[in-house]
Amino acid sequence: MRSNRMAASALMAGGILVLTTACAVGTGGADDSGAEYDAEAELTGELSVMGFGGVDEVATTRMDLAKEALGEVEVSVAEGELDLQQFLSAAATGDPPDLIYANRDQIGSLAARGAIVPLERCIEGEGIDTGMFVESAIEQVTLDGQVYGIPEFNVVQVTMANADLLEQAGLELSDVDGSDWEAVTAANEALTKSDGGKLSVIGYDSKLPEFFPLWAKANGVDLISEDGREAKLDDPGAVEALEWAVGIYDAQGGFGDVKAYRDSADFFGEGNQFATDVLGAMPMEQWYINVLGDVSPDAPMAFTTVKDRQGEPIAFSSGSAWAIPAGAANPEAACRWARVMTAVDSWEAAAQARVDLREEEGKPFTGLLTGNAEADELIRGMVTSGGEPWDTAVASTYEANEHTFALPASPADAEFESAMQDAVNSVLSGEAEPADALAEAQQTAQKALDDAWAEMEQSQEEG
Amino acid sequence: MTRRENRAALLFLSPWLIGFAVFTAWPLIYSAYLSLTDYDVINDPTFVGFDNYAELFSDPKVALALSNTLFFTVVQVPLYVIVSLALALLLARAGRASGFFRTVFFLPKMTPPVAVGILFLLLFNGQNGLFNTALGTVGIDGPSWTTDPAWVKPGLVIMSLWTVGASVLILLAALRGVPDELYESARIDGAGWWRQFLSVTLPMISPAVFFIVVVNTIAGLQTFDEAYTAFFGAGNTTYGNDAALFYVIYLFQQAFQFLNMGYAAAMAWLLFLVIMVVTAIQAVVSRRLVHYEGGTAR
Amino acid sequence: MSTLSGSLGKPGPLGQAEALVAAPVTADAQDEPAVRRKRLPSRRRQTRAGRVLTVIALTAVGVVFLYPFVWLVSASFKPRGEVFDNRLIPETFILDNYVQVWQEAPLALWLTNTLLVTVLAATTVTLSSAMVAWGFAYYRFRGRGPLFALVLGSMMLPGAVTMIPTFLIWNSLGTVNTLIPMWAHNLFGSAFYIFLLRQFMLSLPRDLFDAARVDGANPWQVFWRIGLPLSRPAIAVTLVFEVQAVWTDLMRSLIYLRDSANFTVPRGLKALLDNFGFGGEWHWEILVTASVITTIPMIVLFFVAQKHIIEGVTAGGVKG
Repeated sequence: MRSNRMAASALMAGGILVLTTACAVGTGGADDSGAEYDAEAELTGELSVMGFGGVDEVATTRMDLAKEALGEVEVSVAEGELDLQQFLSAAATGDPPDLIYANRDQIGSLAARGAIVPLERCIEGEGIDTGMFVESAIEQVTLDGQVYGIPEFNVVQVTMANADLLEQAGLELSDVDGSDWEAVTAANEALTKSDGGKLSVIGYDSKLPEFFPLWAKANGVDLISEDGREAKLDDPGAVEALEWAVGIYDAQGGFGDVKAYRDSADFFGEGNQFATDVLGAMPMEQWYINVLGDVSPDAPMAFTTVKDRQGEPIAFSSGSAWAIPAGAANPEAACRWARVMTAVDSWEAAAQARVDLREEEGKPFTGLLTGNAEADELIRGMVTSGGEPWDTAVASTYEANEHTFALPASPADAEFESAMQDAVNSVLSGEAEPADALAEAQQTAQKALDDAWAEMEQSQEEG
Repeated sequence: MTRRENRAALLFLSPWLIGFAVFTAWPLIYSAYLSLTDYDVINDPTFVGFDNYAELFSDPKVALALSNTLFFTVVQVPLYVIVSLALALLLARAGRASGFFRTVFFLPKMTPPVAVGILFLLLFNGQNGLFNTALGTVGIDGPSWTTDPAWVKPGLVIMSLWTVGASVLILLAALRGVPDELYESARIDGAGWWRQFLSVTLPMISPAVFFIVVVNTIAGLQTFDEAYTAFFGAGNTTYGNDAALFYVIYLFQQAFQFLNMGYAAAMAWLLFLVIMVVTAIQAVVSRRLVHYEGGTAR
Repeated sequence: MSTLSGSLGKPGPLGQAEALVAAPVTADAQDEPAVRRKRLPSRRRQTRAGRVLTVIALTAVGVVFLYPFVWLVSASFKPRGEVFDNRLIPETFILDNYVQVWQEAPLALWLTNTLLVTVLAATTVTLSSAMVAWGFAYYRFRGRGPLFALVLGSMMLPGAVTMIPTFLIWNSLGTVNTLIPMWAHNLFGSAFYIFLLRQFMLSLPRDLFDAARVDGANPWQVFWRIGLPLSRPAIAVTLVFEVQAVWTDLMRSLIYLRDSANFTVPRGLKALLDNFGFGGEWHWEILVTASVITTIPMIVLFFVAQKHIIEGVTAGGVKG
């Protein structure tokens, strides 16, 4: 009896020891120094892509071209937006995908973490011309002089308004385009309708927290310095912007009520807020123009760019980018895929596919913002007219595309964004005042930036 | 016991013995070790001593998560007990109909917690949700349960009351186990319903009540599914969800989103400590308040 | 971090831990019918009015409890724009959602995955726990008491403490992003069910087993041919409880499942919410339909196994 028990416990102890040592090892990351990039070379193997949900003709046309260029390579695309947790865990378990499709504002942190590799050799080998991309887009994926992503798509904002509601309240489009903040506040009050605590019409939606950088820049403030090292969240201009944008919600009963009302709306359907006359105006990403055109073409819309306080058009651009994870098994195929997906020819073919499709449906082609400035110009020439207000909408989109800015990349992208959002959210929920919230965010963000830059520089020295 | 018998016993026990070694004993030890390191799975663990624990005390989100969790538990458990007791009392008086209603009350408990989280988002929407519409019919202007930080936790508490079914069943069985003679003698002594409830019913069902309290407290301290579904995850990255940041949610984020496994391990041990302390306090309190038949504490 | 093993702290939705202490699910467990027979006639003078009032109150509460289900089902027959209109009967009654939901997401795959995991988990945990319970119930060896106390003690552990190293184990075996970590831990038994089954087995007559040994049966045969079949009531409870727990487990699926093709139902529902809720195109009608489809199996389970569920849940709290 005793010997049995002893045997059992010895087994246990031994097992514990083995497992402890076995599991205490990091899985390690690798770089692409072994890869040989050559635009002419024939490629083999597999390519696993994560984070690309492309199902429309714009995506599939380019994907077909990319697969052609890859020849024998077996391509598998995991559908769905990039789940950072999934990706990081996959990288951690030593089994990362060969290529990821991430938001550009995530690239900095991923790069600093060593989760993705610099694309210098890839760019050179495959012959990618980084000069053809929209400036703010390539800036967003460049960290410390190194490019970590190939930009794809540009998203800009446009002011969208319900012309009928504006008219009924005796307002002009210029009252809601942001060029005069007091006018917007007044317009908001005129347009908002609420009965007790129940909102029936949202006057103006300042789209916090997502568009906070837009309002800050409209007020002349860059929330982070161009080299990505200094946070400027507590700049008085930023505080002013936050106060104003939150005030818009407060005048409607608070952010909670507006968001709850928004949540229960039929945003993407024919019962959307503009079509049912329950939203006055808001800045919104340009792709919504197509949605509106499709589901509620008769809605009384009016469009213009978002304007900064000087009256100049302004847009806070974002978009996606292709990046190659550290430890990818087939970086050469990954690089070529990225090159072809973002090449001018591919964009042209994709645009043509969409033009054809829209023609069949009897709808106008409203253009594409590709993140590739050359392609953008080319495609602009392919735009077809859909009458008003859609033509102005498209024109506003392209105008906005020429006045974009973006937050430069930094190794603490994620922490910076999180500090910024936390600050805005705490003000929205009434827990803090803008000045205090931003001051605290400034501290958190600056510390994160300092730490991340120091860490990056240190590992560069060692590496 | 013969040698042979021993071997047989060992054989039967072997699954648990192995499982305990691999999935309980080793993880306990390793988790304690990890809590003293910085570990992000990609790189090897680096020893940092008690830094993680020190940071636990200075991390405002840990304080927030703890206070959210404690608030939720302290509010939810008494309400839970009261509601399930009330329903059980009703069922006890329902005679033959009790079987049907028992099913009705228990059915929501079978709903997957993820679906409950989704239901919360839909039914408790501040502007158009069913709950506020219903409140509106009696003239109450409901708050924005899903978006107003002050009302998120109360909303989650109310939603959790939907699944009292199991507790109702337990209390019903306990109520039915109270010997009639006790009520008889109380009635003879002139006690009214309330007096009978206080001096007969409550003491006699107190063991069941105690266990519902203990179990739901421990569950409440680890609440995760409904709140995570409704307020966290890939679709919820921009909006403020601090109000629903419960302790296990934050732990999960630290471990599997930020890959700070060492820190998360330290958080886990803190949770363990909190649960132990709370359960111990409850056990001590129970000695005074809980009446066991036959007089022997369990 | 299953809902049961190593965590008193996270009782499965059926309140497994509520049945933790004392009262065995005895071989001759009488549930309420016997009790009711004894109680009703002599209960406090219940007037007819009193009874009626009680039923009214119960009905009112019952409506509140059932209405969310009704709302959910009703919403699943509405087009997107009407999901929030809270009408009992849909203004526009459509069946499209039930067709579309299968195309919008790999729901059929998710259901299959979950079914597979559930069956594997339930059968393995029942068998292994029964084995261990048998070891504790039938065999008297030195240290039995303390060892069993250890089993009970392991239930007190919050799942979060063992969660990370457990993940690392499965990770090192290369099983992350497969369905294996969703059920394989059940090969080693689960403290809660061991407790439950042991309680039951203790109430079985020893002579039966001793006689079988004398007749020449080996230890395994005694267990497999006699002990196990006699424990059927407790086995049934174990199976049902574990089915419910595994079908609805979210945390494990969040940790271990990556590709949407491998998702189980809870993980899939969450992904649907993320993709079709705020983050996505706000297809609420798809979301409610999927919620209905994934809840129905649990409702069916309840009606099929009602007796066992109720028996298991009430077993513990009564005797305290």
